[in-house]
Amino acid sequence: MATASAPAASSRQGPRTLRFPRLHRFLHKGGLELACVLLGGLALWALVSHVIPRPDRYLPSPGTVVYSSFDMLWKGLLPEFIWNTIWRLLIGSGLGILVGIPFGILLGLNRMVSDMFYPILNFFQSIAGIALLPVVMIWWGSSEQTVIFVILYTCLFPIAFNVLVGVRSIPRIYVNALRTLGASRLRIVRDVILPGALPSIATGLRLGIGFAWRAVIAGEMLAGQQGLGWMIFTAQQVDLTAQVILGMAMIGLLWIVLDRYLLRPLEVDTIQRWGLVQR
Amino acid sequence: MNAAASALALERVGLDRRRLRRIGLGAIPFFLLLSLWQLNTYMGWLKPIYIPPLGSVVSAIFTLQEGCPGLWAVLTMNESCLFTSHVLSSMGRVGLGLAVGVPLGIGLGLLAGMSRRLGNAMEPLGVFANAISGIAWVPLAIVWFGVGWMTTLFILLNTVFWLVFFNTLLGVRGVPRTFENSVLTLGGGRRHVIFQVYLPGALPSIVTGVRMSMGFGWRALIAAEMIGGNKGLGFMIFVSAGEYKVEEVFLGVLFIGIIWMITDRTILVPLEKWTIERWGLVWRPS
Repeated sequence: MATASAPAASSRQGPRTLRFPRLHRFLHKGGLELACVLLGGLALWALVSHVIPRPDRYLPSPGTVVYSSFDMLWKGLLPEFIWNTIWRLLIGSGLGILVGIPFGILLGLNRMVSDMFYPILNFFQSIAGIALLPVVMIWWGSSEQTVIFVILYTCLFPIAFNVLVGVRSIPRIYVNALRTLGASRLRIVRDVILPGALPSIATGLRLGIGFAWRAVIAGEMLAGQQGLGWMIFTAQQVDLTAQVILGMAMIGLLWIVLDRYLLRPLEVDTIQRWGLVQR
Repeated sequence: MNAAASALALERVGLDRRRLRRIGLGAIPFFLLLSLWQLNTYMGWLKPIYIPPLGSVVSAIFTLQEGCPGLWAVLTMNESCLFTSHVLSSMGRVGLGLAVGVPLGIGLGLLAGMSRRLGNAMEPLGVFANAISGIAWVPLAIVWFGVGWMTTLFILLNTVFWLVFFNTLLGVRGVPRTFENSVLTLGGGRRHVIFQVYLPGALPSIVTGVRMSMGFGWRALIAAEMIGGNKGLGFMIFVSAGEYKVEEVFLGVLFIGIIWMITDRTILVPLEKWTIERWGLVWRPS
């Protein structure tokens, strides 16, 4: 119950049972303030776009943006762009995960090998994947392959690096304990290394996919592949600012959905389930 | 005696055996990669348009710096010192973005976090702003500010500010109420609560925010320079790629990595270590 965490509020409320628990929670967790902030922001936006000259170029009003979304939906463009972007992210980051996690674990198994590869992985992680885009464009031109390569690069190294760090951080005692009990190498990997590294794997995934999401948008802009990034970039070139803002809102919403319902629960659950952080 | 003395001298500069071993081991993959690169040039496996010779990448610095009159011209970002002025321009924007974005983010984050209800309301807004921040603002920024340094600075500031703001907000809200109340009971004022409770309590979270904002900000800056800039490393890479000068592109890419590693080593890692040592809060379940 929401009231249990706020005794002050419940004592003022009187009876324990609430008629509208959802509404109550909404009002007491800042929902009202959020609504005020949002409405105030929208009103300010509408006012500014009303006052400035040429609002359709510099800042179209909220209504225009919503109207442009109807237009895009009716033509079927928006769902297609969204789907293209998500598909690219899935392929690129999926490949990155498939390669990055085993790679990180393999490198982390041996102390010497992990000491050897730690700096170079850190270096590759430091090179922003998007910086490679011009090089890859020279190799393969403006193609689907180019964008996916950049996404793959962008999320592979943060994932591999974090997995390596996670494997290194597992206390030697656990490995030694299993070894004294006569466990095989495979057994050690399965029962100690993998669960022990899971929290870092989850953190690496979230970071890697976060970088990858931005790389998709930038890659689409620069390599000219149809998608949300391409949509806002081309819309800007033909002065359709309403479409730019619509695309930005879509990018934000999609990321929130992805982060809230996929990545964050994954991270929180693994940390709670396997977390060795409270050593 | 002699060996012991030299070991002591090494330790004084912070190079004990374990560290030396780690540096030596870490150098091996770099060395292998460089020799493979060099070998590729000799054997001609991949054409220079794919992988330019190592030597031409190094000499690209001198080509770009050709006609640079001296140190003063480097510092004032003279047109003839192309390479250093691109590097300095990117780094200067990072410095400016941090100098403005971090204090602003911490200040406003503290203000928003001090009121529970306002903090609750601002959290979803912060999530949304962080989700859009970075590269997605570039087209709109180009409309508003035109192509140039304002656009890139705006992108960087946007990324830095929202991440720092959001993490400060979360940090302040995560400070247990008891601490605040005990300071108030002991007769502390609002100022005491801010500087003795909120700020130290939120510090680990703030440092995480700064670290993340540097990571995301640097990437966003490079991308923004490519699309909407007229100076900086990202711009240099993009223009050079357009002219098929692969060696200049490689040079820029390498420097992007090197600059980030130096920043990470000299600023971010010590900052994080200091916070952990001083305030002893490594990680906090959300």
